[in-house]
Formats: sequence, C-alpha cells, structure tokens
Amino acid sequence: MTDVLSTVRAGGEPEPDWSWLPEDTPPPTPAALADARRQATGLLTDRGVTYGTLDGGPWRLDPVPMVVDEASWSGLEAAVAQRSAVLDAVLADLYGPRTLLADRLIPPELVLADPGFLRAVDGLAGPGPRRLVLHAVDLARDPSGAWLALSDRAQAPSGAAYAMVDRRVVAQSMARVYRRTPIRRIGPFFHALRRALDAAAPMAPGSSESPQTVLLTPGPHSETAFDQAYLATMLGVPLVEGSDLVVRDGRVWLEGMAGPEPVDVILRRVDAQWCDPLDLRADSRLGVPGLVRALRAGTVAVVNPLGSGVLEHPGLAAYLPRVARTVLGEDLALPSPGTWWCGEPASRAHALAHLDRLVLTSSDRTHPVLGWTLDTAAREELAHRIAAEPLRWTAQEPVPGATTTADPTGRPGRQPEGRSSVLRTFAVADDDGYQVLAGGLALVAPPGAEVVSSSRGAVARDVWVISADVEATADPWATSPEELLPRRTVSLPPRTAENLFWLTRYAERAGDTVRLLRAVVDRWYDYARRPGTPGGRALAVLLDAVGAHHPGGWPQASPGGSPLTGDRERRLLRALLLDRDEPGTVAWSVRHLADSAAAVRDQMSNDFWLPLASMERALEVEAAAERAPGSTTGLLPVLDRLLEALLAVAGVAGEGMLRDPGWYLMDAGRRLERSMYLVESLDATVTTVRPDDVESYVLESLLIAHESSITYRRQHSRRPDLAGVLDLLVGDARNPRSLVFQLDRLRDDLAHVPAASTDARDRLIQDLLDLAGELDPRPAAAAVGDRREHLAEILESLRWRLAGLADEVAAAHFAHRPAGRAMGDQWGLR
Amino acid sequence: MTARTYELVHRTAYTYDEPVTSSYGRAVLLPRELPEQHVHRRVLEVEPEPADTAEHVDYFGNTSSYFAVTAPHSELVVTARSLVTVDRPADRPVADLPRATWEDVARAVRPGGTAETADGAGGASDALVVLREALLPSHHAAFTDPVRAWSAPSFAPGRPLVEVLADLTRRVHEEMRYLPGSTTVTSTHDEVLAQRAGVCQDFAHLTIAALRLHGVPARYVSGYLETQPPPGQEKLLGADASHAWVAAWLPGAGWVEVDPTNDTVVDSRYVVLGWGRDYADVPPLRGVIFTEAAESRLSVSVDLTPVELTDAGGRTSPDAPR
Repeated sequence: MTDVLSTVRAGGEPEPDWSWLPEDTPPPTPAALADARRQATGLLTDRGVTYGTLDGGPWRLDPVPMVVDEASWSGLEAAVAQRSAVLDAVLADLYGPRTLLADRLIPPELVLADPGFLRAVDGLAGPGPRRLVLHAVDLARDPSGAWLALSDRAQAPSGAAYAMVDRRVVAQSMARVYRRTPIRRIGPFFHALRRALDAAAPMAPGSSESPQTVLLTPGPHSETAFDQAYLATMLGVPLVEGSDLVVRDGRVWLEGMAGPEPVDVILRRVDAQWCDPLDLRADSRLGVPGLVRALRAGTVAVVNPLGSGVLEHPGLAAYLPRVARTVLGEDLALPSPGTWWCGEPASRAHALAHLDRLVLTSSDRTHPVLGWTLDTAAREELAHRIAAEPLRWTAQEPVPGATTTADPTGRPGRQPEGRSSVLRTFAVADDDGYQVLAGGLALVAPPGAEVVSSSRGAVARDVWVISADVEATADPWATSPEELLPRRTVSLPPRTAENLFWLTRYAERAGDTVRLLRAVVDRWYDYARRPGTPGGRALAVLLDAVGAHHPGGWPQASPGGSPLTGDRERRLLRALLLDRDEPGTVAWSVRHLADSAAAVRDQMSNDFWLPLASMERALEVEAAAERAPGSTTGLLPVLDRLLEALLAVAGVAGEGMLRDPGWYLMDAGRRLERSMYLVESLDATVTTVRPDDVESYVLESLLIAHESSITYRRQHSRRPDLAGVLDLLVGDARNPRSLVFQLDRLRDDLAHVPAASTDARDRLIQDLLDLAGELDPRPAAAAVGDRREHLAEILESLRWRLAGLADEVAAAHFAHRPAGRAMGDQWGLR
Repeated sequence: MTARTYELVHRTAYTYDEPVTSSYGRAVLLPRELPEQHVHRRVLEVEPEPADTAEHVDYFGNTSSYFAVTAPHSELVVTARSLVTVDRPADRPVADLPRATWEDVARAVRPGGTAETADGAGGASDALVVLREALLPSHHAAFTDPVRAWSAPSFAPGRPLVEVLADLTRRVHEEMRYLPGSTTVTSTHDEVLAQRAGVCQDFAHLTIAALRLHGVPARYVSGYLETQPPPGQEKLLGADASHAWVAAWLPGAGWVEVDPTNDTVVDSRYVVLGWGRDYADVPPLRGVIFTEAAESRLSVSVDLTPVELTDAGGRTSPDAPR
C-alpha cells in the first residue's frame, strides 16, 4: 500500500487501552494477548495472506483492535461520504466541461501538468450516476483528536479485502473480546460494492441477466495480489489479467476456453496508464488494446474510470474546501493538513521558506520527502528541484502520529517511542451518495518510523466501530435480495486453466517424489552400511532412480540403471528434498505448486492454503535445522508431514470443488503426471535384470512408492516378481495407482474440457491405452541377457506419447496469443 | 499566395515475415476542418478490411480514427485520401501582425495576466485552459538547460514575438542539418542540439520548448507541405511527406504558425491534420499488433497533388468536386 505520513511524537507508549470493554469483560491477560498474537500469525499463514512482490511475505497483523466509538465514527462517516462526493464532482468536471479549471477554482496547471490527467479518455463519463465508484481515504487524528484526510486513493484503492481478512482473523484469535463487543459489521460494504459494480454496467434497464464483471489484476506478482484475489472471491467475480481479455467489435470479451464471453464491468487494479497499450502507455503488457475504444462505444464500464488517478494529486487538497463550497454548496467536513501546491508563487514561497518542517510530494506519486530529515545540502538540492519544476511539487504539513498503540514487547533499555499510525477507510457509491465501510484498515509503523507503509514494515490492525446498533449500515443483501440477479457462470480463461493444470501436476510430482524418497530413506536406514547385501544393492538401484548420491566409498551405480532424472548430477538425499532452486526436488515442486496456486487464488477454496502453508513450514524448519549435508536424519518426519499435506490438497480438490472444466483439468494434470512418474520409475528400476533377491527388494520399494504394496500382498503370497508388479501397476484398471487407471481418467477428464480441436489429443490417449493394454506382463518381464529390451521399448514409447499428450493438451486448451507489440513509428520518414 | 486545393493521399504499408493475428490501429490522418482549411471529403481505407472501425473528435479537436483488423494478415495498408482547399489569411505580410513583445505575451498568459479575462483569451470558455496547457513542458518538449542556453539569444529583451519567431526559425534552419534517420521517436531535443541535426519533428519540438520556456504558448501541428520538384523536373509520386511545425499564440492574432524546418511562415502550401502538445498527441498512425513475426517493413508514401476545382477560387460546397 502506498505511503502515508505522520510524524512521530516522542514519549511513552501506553499499554493497550481496554477501557472500552464492557464492564463484565476483563481485559486479556498478557499471556492471553501473546497467545492471540501467535494465533493470528498462524491463521494468516494458514490462509496464505501475503503482502509484497518478491515471494510475498506474510501480511502482518496485530490482533489488538483499534477502537473508534460510535459518536466519533458517525461524524467521520458523513465527512468521508461528503469528500467522496466532492471528488466525484471534480472527476466529472475534469473530463467534461472543465469549469473548475476555467474558473480557476483549481489552478489549471495543477491538472494539466499531472501525469494522472489522461487526455485520451476525455469526455468518457461513465454511465452510472457517479464516476468515482470506489474511494479510499487515509486518515489520522491531529493532536486535538480531530480527523484529517492525509491522502485520497481514487486510482484503484487497495486494502478493503485485507480489512475483511483482518476482521476474520481477529474474530478468531480474540474470540472472547470479539463476542462480547458490539462491533459494526463490514460485510455490507462488500455487498454494496457488488451492487455499485452492477449499477455501473452499461446495460439496458430491466435486463434479465446480471452484468458480467471481472477484476483486472496486474498479476500474481503485484504487491497486493492477495487483496485482489480475496476481493474477487468475495465479490464472486473472475480474476483476470489483460491478456485474458480482448476487444472485438467494440466490446470487451473474456476469452474463455468455451469461447469469448462479453464483459460489462471491469473493476481494475491496474493503473489507468497501463490499461490500453493502443491509447495509453504503448509499452504496457498489462492492458487490453482497444479498451478505450470500447469505453467510447459505451459497451463496458471501467471502475474506477480511467483517469481517476488525477484525484490523487496531493496538491488538490489545498483547493477542495472552495471546490466543495462551489459544487456542493457545503463546507468540507474532512479537512486535510495544510497543503501548498508549488505551482502557485505564494505557496511555493511558503514551501521553500519552510522546507525543514514540511513533507514534499512530487506529482509522480513516489515516496514523499521529509524536509526535516534532509541536511542543508540535500535541502538546497530539493529547493532547486522545486524551483525548476514547481508544478510537480506539493508541500504538506506533517501530522503528529496518533499514539494509540502500545508495544508490550518493547526491548528493555530501549527508549519507548511513539508509533505513527493511519487509518484507511473506504467509500462506495450507492443510490443516495456514498456508503462508508464501518471500520477499515489501520496501519501502524514500526517504532521510530515516520512513514506508515506496508512496504516499510507497518503492522495492520482491525478497526472496530463500537455501536449500539451493529446493523446500522444498510446491507443491500439483507434489504433487497431480489435485486441481485444471479451471476452468469463464466468459462475459464486459458491462463487460469493452464495454472490449474500445472497446479496438480506440481502437487502430484511433489507427492510422487516424496513417496519414492520415503521408500529410499527406509532402505537407507537398513542398508546404507551394508552395500554388499541384496538390500544394499537394491538401495543402489533406488538411489540411481532418484538421482541421489551413494554413501561415501560405494562402487559406481549398477550397470544400465539409468537415473530417473536424466543426466542430472547426483545430489544428496537432503538436497532432493530441500533444495528449492533445483528442478525436480520436492521443495522446488512445492514452490511451483504455491506459485500456480497464487496465480489462481480466486479459484481455490480457503482450505487449500492450510496444507500448503504446512508444507512450506515443514520444509523451512528442516532446511533451517543444523545437520551435516549428507545426513538423512530428520528426513522421514518431514516426508510424512508433506505426504499428509499433499493428501489434504488432493482431498480439497476432490471434495471441495465444483466439477467444472477447471476441475477436470486439475484432475487431468494429476493423472498425466502420475502416469509419467510411473513410466519413468519403472524404466529406471526394472529394465535391467538383477539377481532375484536384489530385484525383489527393488520391487517391494517400488510397490510402496506407488501405494500398492498392501494390494499386492493381498493378491500374492510370494515375494514380488516383476510380472505380478507390472500387472498391478500397469494393467489393473481397478488399482487407482495403475497406468491404465490414470489413462482412463485422463480420457474422461479431457472429454469434459471444451476445446475447438481435440483430434490429436484424443488419438494420443487412445494410443496410450492401446499400448498399456498390450503390455502382457509375462513376456514383458522376460529378459535377453541382462536387459528387458521389450519392456524398455514399450516404456519409452509410452514416455514420449505422454510428453506429446502434455503438448497437445496445451495446444488444445491453453493456446497462447502471441504477445502484443507496437507498430513501427512514422518518425522523420520520407 | 491564393487558395490551393490538394488531392491528398497518405499510404502506409506494413509487411510482416509471419502472419499477424490482429492489428489495432489509431490514426490522426483525416485533416481538420478549419476557418482557413476546408475539407471537401476525407476517408481512411484499411486493408484487410477491419472488423471494427470508429471515429471521434479527440481532446484537441482532431479527428481520431480507430480500426481493428482481426483476421490474420501479413500486410496491412492504411490509406488516407482527402480533398482539401487551403486559404490562409496568413499569406498577409508578417509586418501586419501585432508587435507585442514576447514578455508582453508571457505576462498576458501567466496566472493573474490579462488573458484571464475572457476577451484576452479569445472568448471561448476553455480558451484559458488551452493557453495554459500550451505553456507546460511535455514529453517531447522538456525544459532543459541546453534548450534554455540555445534559445536565450533569440529572446532579446523587448523583442516583438513575431521577430522572436522569425529568429528562432531562421536559427533552426541555419544551425541544424535536416537529416532523415538521424533521430528516432525516443530522441530528445538535447541530443538534437548536441548533434545539430534532426528531422521536422525535432525542429518543431525544439522551437516549442524554447517558446514555452519563455512563457509563450506553443503547440505542435501535424500535417503536410507541398513540395516542389527541382526546376525542370517532374514531381515524383510519393515524394511528399508528413510534416510538423509550430503554432505560437500572439494576442490579437491568435495562433501564428511557423515552420522552423523550412524557415518560413505557414501558408497555403500547408495542410493541417491536427495539433497537440507534441508528436505524442498526434502521431499520424500508431498501433498494437499480435504476431510471432520478428521482422516488419514499413513503407510510407504521401502525395499532395494540386488540383483545379471546377469552382475556382477556393471555397466549394463539400459535395461539389469529385
């Protein structure tokens, strides 16, 4: 989230103030509080709540709520709604008659020189009664306790979904206090947002279908990717990237697997300049070429409208009081700190004379400069930059940080310091004006920090508005359910489909590797010190198969045993489990599983994040353990934890998801990966003939790795032989781990996935089934010399067909559009 | 110079070594209707035939055309055809223009200046906004020290703006070499100053930046200039080109157009497509294509052919001549 400023006030920090608790409720003890904090952290991890770009660190939340009483809130609520209405009027004017500029109520240059003022969308007023649909404002209290608006967010406000997840986590981790406190609900705000989105749709009134809305995201690597995906889930709208959309015939379409579907409303989290490479920034890969054309045709609404970012100009605050009087005939109820836009000579003079006391913000909206932190030279340099480009700079008075929070963990010997905090709340357009979220997102900076920003370590707190009437906010779902038309189901964009397919492939690969490693580690414990025994020789075969090192001093691998993982270097067993950066390791598969899941977060059940978090934690803990590199200590418990979590992942997929094409693709991914692993593990272990006693150890491990040893023992009384194993692992259609079983399911899964052309795909599946069916265990197990050539050939032929099938699935279902690029320029040509 | 009528054809062809699945284009290739420029007819042709086209008047009042070709193609041809009559009163002698100094002009348009009263800015309600916008630096016309240093000698104290304009255009023409290919769309005017060479867009941007730096409203005009073949030779087909020049605001005269590339006042040999803050607001054609193709070739030809109208003397009803 963007920065917000307030200065630190020195002085001691109070303990959390619990005086608002009902009389019969004692405040939490320090131990209970510490426990609640631990629980909150755990819940956030388990739900996969992340913030930030690189690998997404955890979202930080202190479950101690920030409390606002009803009297204070109701005044603020009205003031925020009024401020939204003023900004809405400004937006309508700037992209319409521009009377505010002509009359110089706002200095024309402030707007005209602002990069957020987009001439390409001039005149494109939205169809709804209000242009500004979603508005966020960052608030702080001045020393007298009055609220000030530090900054407005009108481009694509973030954080509402964080506020919701905070509320859920706090409700759980502070359950006792939560239950005993009458807190205003924040859910109605999201229902109102959905209604506002529907209202923005350019549809004929009385249409029987609800508009198709999508949430446009810059992608899973966005800082607030969680917020976006969670919001999409709450609103019940698909999360799409620009490449999922296309403009045809003056309309925006979602390119679903089942064909294009019209889109009526786009809730955007992409900054406007990046939304259309044709009419806005040409170098954007995040947008949709032709989007502005579709807007001009009136076939789609974008929320907030393109160009709304101009409202975030920090200097606008200086003029809002007189704008409010002109456009609403009212005094502005929510003031800003003293603001001087340097484009006006008098303001510039003030700013330059007081640089050491002011906060300077440039109109490119980058990090603000705190005047008092600069030395003389830096201040002079800043003064020079302001003088050179005065239109770009705005000076603002700092707001002393509200010290409502305490840090009981403050280290002894350290001076207690005030902590800056800010409250972001949200307003959404409704029939009569704006509805304000009853609470919001409080961010508290680390001690001593002057900029409150999630990217600079700020910790979130839930905001509780204590009220006698907790239902004070009209909930459109409670009052008028009939007005909400059912959502159209929408087919998956190919990008989402591909991520779902890979998600289960990674999960299956992780699971297969875990099972095989477990079988290997088992043998290792028994035979690593006895290489000459049959069990020891079998261990060598298995180590080759997983591509692992032998214990020191062992002879070379048994002849002909090709490692599973191709000509990759051998690695230590620990590395095969824990090395995140090497393809094929368990940790690598888990990481890619998490990445794929993050990219389709809106599709996944909430239960999905728990096992994922548990896997990541198990791997992290073991990776952090201090062990010798070659040690196998501690591997089995981790493998067990991982397997448990992977079973939970499979369970969520099996029991918690609608059987739609996305699900079938997920299942197909699992079947395909399992088939591949089966073929590869057979190829690596049994195509070379070994003495019977060695081979039966190998086969036993193989059966264990493929979850089939119990079944085998039930069917056979003797030690395993290859023909029996092949029969069970390849041809037995009743065995859910057999190849034929996987292929049957694959065929069935893919039949449920729509695609234009599936001939090549279906032919390959049939070939694979034929091949597997033709594999007769007895002759296949027969050897010529020390090789089972016939078996090796069949496995090879299965292997390349499976690879071909993966390609065909990609071609049939995930067809990628080539990337867009700019046409050549006619510069200086003749 | 009397009114002139032109048959105008601007053809742009892109050829690709592999199919393009779709092309989205935006063109400002249809001339503006203006008091001194009458457009009899104008049309934009795109091949292959676009699935979608649209036209609108943009923020600056230019006609902007959109097209989307969504069938695979390996060649895209965009042809603009117009019939235009130009009759510029600017053919009056420069000596007749108001003699306001550049400082007077700057004083009039700055905040608190006389242009804030409606008549000072020419009456229209958005006139002030238009003037203020023309004072601001823009993408291709940044305020830099090299431009400041280069332009300073032309802005002698007390010099009438018309003389400043004449001096700037003369100096661009004398000091800079017209060298096609010496710059690209990403070149800055500091680079142009350093190499003392550029193309018409560069010279326009340099002049605009110099004027705005000194508080004189200036804008970028995109269009065409009729070229004359060398004496005794016939004019070659496609020999004309897109052109760009400068308009500066002079109280009492309005927007005065000068061509720094050719060191001349803009007359009836010039056809206006549209204007903006700089090139980025009015490129004749830009677009986004979807393709795996690595190579594309661009060829452009412009023909500005003087024609005789049946109703000689200029203004003709729009549907009369064919």
